[in-house]
Amino acid sequence: MNSTIPTTTQPKAGSTPVARLEVQGLAKTYGHGPKSVEVIKDLTFSIHAGEVVCIVGPSGVGKTTLLKCLAGLQPSSGGTMKIDGHQVSGPPAEMALVFQDYSRSLMPWLTVEKNLLLPLRHLHLPAAEVRTRIEEALNEVGLSHAAKRYPWQLSGGMQQRVAIARALAYRPEILIMDEPFASVDAQTRFDLEDLCLKIRDELGMTILLVTHDIDEAVYLSDRIVAIGNKPAQVLEVLPVDLPQPRNQITSRALPEFSGLRTKVLSLIRQSES
Amino acid sequence: MKRSSTVPSRRDGQTLSQKPGNQNEARGINYESPAAKFGFGILGAVLLLGLWQFAAIRGTFGNGLPTVSATLIELFALFGNPEFWTDTFTTIWLAVLGMVIAVVAGVMLGLLIGTIDWVRYATLAVTEFFKPIPPIVVLPLCVMIWGPTNTMALALVLLGTVLSTTIQVIAGVNDTDPVALSTARSYGMGRVERLLRVTLPSASPYIGTSVRIGAPAALIIVVVAGLLGGAPGLGSAIYRSQSAGDFPQTYALVLVLGVLGLVAQNLSSMIERRVLHWHPAFREDVK
Repeated sequence: MNSTIPTTTQPKAGSTPVARLEVQGLAKTYGHGPKSVEVIKDLTFSIHAGEVVCIVGPSGVGKTTLLKCLAGLQPSSGGTMKIDGHQVSGPPAEMALVFQDYSRSLMPWLTVEKNLLLPLRHLHLPAAEVRTRIEEALNEVGLSHAAKRYPWQLSGGMQQRVAIARALAYRPEILIMDEPFASVDAQTRFDLEDLCLKIRDELGMTILLVTHDIDEAVYLSDRIVAIGNKPAQVLEVLPVDLPQPRNQITSRALPEFSGLRTKVLSLIRQSES
Repeated sequence: MKRSSTVPSRRDGQTLSQKPGNQNEARGINYESPAAKFGFGILGAVLLLGLWQFAAIRGTFGNGLPTVSATLIELFALFGNPEFWTDTFTTIWLAVLGMVIAVVAGVMLGLLIGTIDWVRYATLAVTEFFKPIPPIVVLPLCVMIWGPTNTMALALVLLGTVLSTTIQVIAGVNDTDPVALSTARSYGMGRVERLLRVTLPSASPYIGTSVRIGAPAALIIVVVAGLLGGAPGLGSAIYRSQSAGDFPQTYALVLVLGVLGLVAQNLSSMIERRVLHWHPAFREDVK
């Protein structure tokens, strides 16, 4: 693990892309012997600084296992993962994780601001900086007014914004999200997707998102890692050339958008049959 | 003593009394209002006292049941007796001290057993063995070791409450949401920090339940320790008045115990509601 205090401004993906996160031959098998289950066979991909990359695959393909391995919550059975060229074991300090299930990842006994404070405590930052980080993060997700409320007093979309704000206040260099918008309504989902793109643009964060929603993947990504088959392996890494900034109405109406969607969908369908 | 590992269900008291709510509203009585609650509570108490007085005057139970009036006179006489106050405070002190030690010990043991696998397996058989043994069975042993002392009463309270508190805390530790723990881990929170800032608050509803059940139990055990083991406090005062044949005083002391039990129950429920205001069972506003 290298430096614990990440910088907030990263060069945007552009002329000279740097591999921020490099996954090489990642494999995961549960159990031993004849009863063992191979969930992930071989995953190889890399993410450049400031990129938004979506991992798309059919449900039950082992996306959550993959994420747990990436976040260092679970040991992998093979392969390597490197951040800026350094191999990682345990949970990397420069990484934050947003779970799909916001109601379970937020602590119900803590107010919104205390939830944001929770992961910051062990960083031992000056009190003033902690305060600024929390205020800025809540402001970023538009929840400054809800600082003193409890998560369970908020709607699902607001709770997921709290979970995102908690990740932002932690100032990770890499943000990993596990189907973060799967359990919110369609309108909130669009808002949260745009929030995701906004924090990338403003804070230069590198974002890895796991989803089963192909439209969402096409809309958000700079590149899509399509995975399929049991055990999971990379089918193809597709660049998404839609113009930036993305727009929920115009970007989704582009012919390239539906072209990409068709391509990803048929890739995944093929792998299933 | 119950050793259930249940967390209060959502406003159990209210849902019961709200079911026939429509009919009651039609009749114009709101049983949820404080005045109605208080009024009907008094009504019940008065009815019981009436029944008691009637049975006492008729002599249904002979000498064994003094009249309400004789008991109340004796009760007021007790209030002027410094020895009574010493006994009362000794009883309360022992019960409270016992409960505090039981919670602290229960939390430490529960966290230890609940989070470290080998400790859990090493203690499983032992806790299962001690679980069904009521403290009263161990009382003669405690009297033999410590004699009729405060220490004996305290030891007995601990024997009766530490294990149940520990079992509750273990259940609470097991009930900690794995997503919450994974979140804490992914943010680089260490083992001890996760234990104190995630696992312990998650287990707090279970600790609350153990206090609510344990507080009245602790009081009962202190009294039993006095009544049967001769430890100082209200228990031995009851024993003395009983063997002196002063039944009105015996009943007056039992009344005091009843009130103390009520206070212990309500106080622990109140603290529980305060501390656990975030828990689904106690939340004030529902979306």
